[in-house]
Amino acid sequence: MRILVVEDEKKVANALREGLEADGYTVTLAADGEEGFGLVSREAFDLVLLDLALPRRDGVDVLAAMRKRNCMTPVFILTARDSVEDRVLGLDTGADDYLVKPFTFPELLARIRALLRRGRAESALRLQHEDLWVDLATRKVARGEQALDLTAKEFDILECLLRNPGRTVSRDMLARQVWHVTARATPLDNVIDVTMVRLRRKIDDPFETKLLHTVRGVGFVLGARRE
Amino acid sequence: MKGQRLSVRARLALWHTGVLTLIVCVFSAGILFFVRESMFAGIDRQLYRALTTVDWVYHHEPEEIHDLASESGIAFFRVVVDGKLLYQTGDWERAGLTGAPVEPGAAPDSWKGSDGTWYRVQAVAEPSYTIAAAVREGARRDALWTLIVILAAGIPLAAALAVAGGYFLAGRALAPVGAMADKARQITADSLGERLPVLNPQDEFGRLAAVFNDTLARLHDSFDRLRRFTADASHELRTPLTAMRSVGEVALQAPHDAGRYREVIGSMLEEVHRLTHLVDSLLVLTRADCGATPPVREVVELGSLAGSVADHLRVLAEEKRQSLVVDPGARVEALCDPAILRLGLMNLLHNAIKYTPERGAISVRARETASGHSSIEVQDSGPGIAPAHRERIFERFYRGDAGFNGESPGAGLGLAIARWAVAANGGRIEVESEESRGSLFRIVLPGR
Repeated sequence: MRILVVEDEKKVANALREGLEADGYTVTLAADGEEGFGLVSREAFDLVLLDLALPRRDGVDVLAAMRKRNCMTPVFILTARDSVEDRVLGLDTGADDYLVKPFTFPELLARIRALLRRGRAESALRLQHEDLWVDLATRKVARGEQALDLTAKEFDILECLLRNPGRTVSRDMLARQVWHVTARATPLDNVIDVTMVRLRRKIDDPFETKLLHTVRGVGFVLGARRE
Repeated sequence: MKGQRLSVRARLALWHTGVLTLIVCVFSAGILFFVRESMFAGIDRQLYRALTTVDWVYHHEPEEIHDLASESGIAFFRVVVDGKLLYQTGDWERAGLTGAPVEPGAAPDSWKGSDGTWYRVQAVAEPSYTIAAAVREGARRDALWTLIVILAAGIPLAAALAVAGGYFLAGRALAPVGAMADKARQITADSLGERLPVLNPQDEFGRLAAVFNDTLARLHDSFDRLRRFTADASHELRTPLTAMRSVGEVALQAPHDAGRYREVIGSMLEEVHRLTHLVDSLLVLTRADCGATPPVREVVELGSLAGSVADHLRVLAEEKRQSLVVDPGARVEALCDPAILRLGLMNLLHNAIKYTPERGAISVRARETASGHSSIEVQDSGPGIAPAHRERIFERFYRGDAGFNGESPGAGLGLAIARWAVAANGGRIEVESEESRGSLFRIVLPGR
């Protein structure tokens, strides 16, 4: 999978390359809009990560030019502007998804996977990790033979973790996917932490093997972390 | 507008002069009219006596008519019978009164004789004869002229004095305005504490100065808050930055194993998270300050909104073994932006859970107030808020000194956001609190 990263901030660009390559992608960097547009017109990519505030050529401009030329490569926008108008402008121009800076890397990876997966049917109705399994249709959860009683939010969190096995799930991701809260100025962090403590009490405390781990400063991971 | 407008002082002086001149003119005209009337009234009475005397003599002792002038002192008269002149005094002829327009029966009239003197002339007529008589106007007419001259010369003089006096008075009256302007010019952003002097709070200038001072006070207040906010914000931003820097620097001083580095990076990321949250909260408030978040209002059922917010935060209360009760009550509706109001209520309720000790009780209920407003009340059993803090808890970065039971204190922006969220919906937050007996926060919104 080839990803083009158009980002002028060197540190961020290098971090993105390193992180994405660690996840198995092939990464090409472009430092400004002109270079990015040149690359995307000449070569084939599976995904473009596009910053909006770029020197020489604005991100929205690059995106508009791409779509005008019928280049349908999925575009993921990274922006520090988080006003509703900016988002709408980006999505209207033809972006497939966006994240507001500063974003958490696990969430970026999850979203990229979702974008690349798009179109392929999600057929799994049963998610499993070791002896922990979740039935999405009946919303039943069990570890081994023992059924577990989870609240709706706990179930949703577990589902989110199981869909990203071995990968870190950040609080921001949970806020968006489980609580459907996009505004970050809410007192949600405590709620997430407490809910996580309770989930752990139910799925881990009574058992020998611990599955749910906290990654300090980042989020949570189910199962052994994949380095 | 043509040319430059005159100063207020000059305009006041000119108006003053104009009005005063008009008054003097009307007054002078009145005086002249009455003086003239009374003068002619005296002369006319004299003339009338002369006429009746001549008439009486002509009727009863016609032969005496020739001696009448010398005996009675009636110097000017003439008797015409059947169109022929019967007699006229020598003075009549000498004064050149022969041509005087003598219309029998008319009112007395003035006539300038050929000797240059003014006479008052009148005539009586019977079918067969006409008698005309005249009296010298003499000194009285001179007096009238003198009066006219005096007034004519006096009015411009008075006007000139009025200009000078008006200009002086206007200057005196406007002096406080000038003084205020000078003082106001000296008040800058650094000396907003200064005030304009109010000499007499009851008069117009006193009220003007008071209004101006009031504006200054508000300006001072908002400057103060801005200054405090900037200082607090930079402090709050520096704290996580300092933590990150020291944690990183200390970790790099000596080699460590991977686990230790993982710890260090995790700790730094925690600070990043804190910083992100802080910046996001500040952004919400700053956007609100410049009006970039206009509320989209719709009819909202407050009870269900309160219920959903409570469900959202319920785990926090449960974890502290607090009872969090939502009183269903009656259906209460308000016209507001549900997303913004939700954010406000969430911060308010989070605050209540945070400050209420373990096993405490929190209740939320929506109800209609006695005055017809819609309200959501959050009652907690926390430590209460001392009166000294009650006004300030909604200020940005303000944290009371109540204990947190080991929890990390927030950035102190929650209640500030709550206040903005409610104010943006046209409402306000009321606080009732007694120390050690809990607090009641009431969101009051305009009803439907």
